[in-house]
Amino acid sequence: MIELKQVAVTFNRGDILEAHALRGITLNIAQGELVTVIGSNGAGKSTLLGTIAGDVEVNRGGSIRIENTEVTHLPAHRRATSVARVFQDPLAGTCANLTIEENMVLAATRGRGRGLNAAVTRRRRDDFRERLSALQLNLENRLQDPVGKLSGGQRQALSLIMATLAGSHILLLDEHTAALDPRMAKYVLELTQRIYQEYQLTVLMITHSMQSALEMGNRLIMLHQGKIIYDVSGEQRQQLTIPDLLNLFSRAAPDVSDTLLFG
Amino acid sequence: MSSIAFFGAIEIGLIYGIVAFGVFITYRMLDFPDLSVESTFPLGGAIAAALVLSGWDPWTATAIAFIGGGIAGMLTAFLSVHCGILNLLAGILTMIAGYSINIRIMGRPNISLLGEANFFAPFTDSGISSFYAQPLVIGVICLLLMALLVWFLLSEVGLALRATGQNPRMLRAQGGNTVAYVYCGVIVSNALVALGGALFTHANGFADVTSGIGTIVFGLAAVILGKTILPGEKIWVMLLACLVGAVLYRLFVALILSSGVFGFYASDLNLMTALLVILALVAPTLRRRWKQRQAAA
Repeated sequence: MIELKQVAVTFNRGDILEAHALRGITLNIAQGELVTVIGSNGAGKSTLLGTIAGDVEVNRGGSIRIENTEVTHLPAHRRATSVARVFQDPLAGTCANLTIEENMVLAATRGRGRGLNAAVTRRRRDDFRERLSALQLNLENRLQDPVGKLSGGQRQALSLIMATLAGSHILLLDEHTAALDPRMAKYVLELTQRIYQEYQLTVLMITHSMQSALEMGNRLIMLHQGKIIYDVSGEQRQQLTIPDLLNLFSRAAPDVSDTLLFG
Repeated sequence: MSSIAFFGAIEIGLIYGIVAFGVFITYRMLDFPDLSVESTFPLGGAIAAALVLSGWDPWTATAIAFIGGGIAGMLTAFLSVHCGILNLLAGILTMIAGYSINIRIMGRPNISLLGEANFFAPFTDSGISSFYAQPLVIGVICLLLMALLVWFLLSEVGLALRATGQNPRMLRAQGGNTVAYVYCGVIVSNALVALGGALFTHANGFADVTSGIGTIVFGLAAVILGKTILPGEKIWVMLLACLVGAVLYRLFVALILSSGVFGFYASDLNLMTALLVILALVAPTLRRRWKQRQAAA
């Protein structure tokens, strides 16, 4: 469960570059929801995710609670106990020079104390091999290859598996298929759906694709200029089409063309 | 080369192997080019010498030198992480401050330990010549340290430390406190370098505040040379490469200096080291360009 109350973010305050990235967002995401987030460039999508993950500091007066714990002032690494993330850039979520199994150990020890005991153990290796074989990407036989040798899609799939290793229930996805070719993007989306159901996660997924925003999950929110301008779930959401979305958007923001939104 | 010069080169090579371990942790693992080693090397020597001179047991003095180096490393990490000073500059500040502190510790710029309690006495007393005993003892210490470092770097903490140098954002997302790991790495690195400095002092019978000049480049030379000779991504290979690199580098230096053929003086050492490091750093780029040109032709 994620609760945002009056969350505002201002970058470069008092500077000529002052920018209001978020303007008072109040949002409750229930356990088990998969929320897709759309909006034009600069709408505040990534900033929104950043405030939940702890990368972005929230203006005074706002508050964020994750699983009934106040986290507004906790640094990112202390929120990681309950929050897993997959980044847009496949390079960002893994360490290229470390092996697949070493990357997985980093994820498996997320939110636990790290000790001086051996990082890669036989038990962990067996566990990793089993989880990777479900991907059918032959990664289970490459545990000792550096992650840098994997393709972008393989790295994103690995990142998703890594997100499930520590047993947390919240997953933040920041356009995690944007850098992939269409075939691999489809694969990663299907994998996302699979682990969402299997691990009963609560997911916030930013996407640039209206189609996947409609196909995935059970709730959709649209951001514009740092505000939520549309929030739909349930049956209404089921009947929504891409033209509806475009229509909604041009009504809310007549100053921006559709191509700028989803170009 | 005489056998005295040969064993001397092995001995000092092994000592710089310990320095190379330290430089390896900061430079290669943490991506933190730490110049404070230029003052923590003489710091180790200064602490060891000052304590031995006031009647301490040389082994205890060496342990305290190790801790002293760690404290100096803590200062560098603090300046970099908490004061937001560029890591290179943070190291330089510790280096400059360390110069004065080292003189304070010794009370003068250098100390001779002739006739004082000797670190190697437990071994040389049995009649083994110090020419063999010293490199042997230091070699055993090197191997012990190497084993400890392999264990450390392959542990969960060590893995997180390696990730800190490569992708700090990823590590934070995995719940790792990158600040703590930077501290950890820089402290361990400088403690090792100070240990090297203490052993240098014991082996040579003196401590000198200027003995730190070039430490970072000697360390880098060993790390880079070792990587060229013993490539490989396994931790134990990389650490062994540091040791091999340091010893070969010192043998190379001894060969050139002792032969007299090339007309080099001991004071040319720094220039030669710098040239060697430049060569080792530029070689991969040159090789790539050359290959590209071959492919284009």
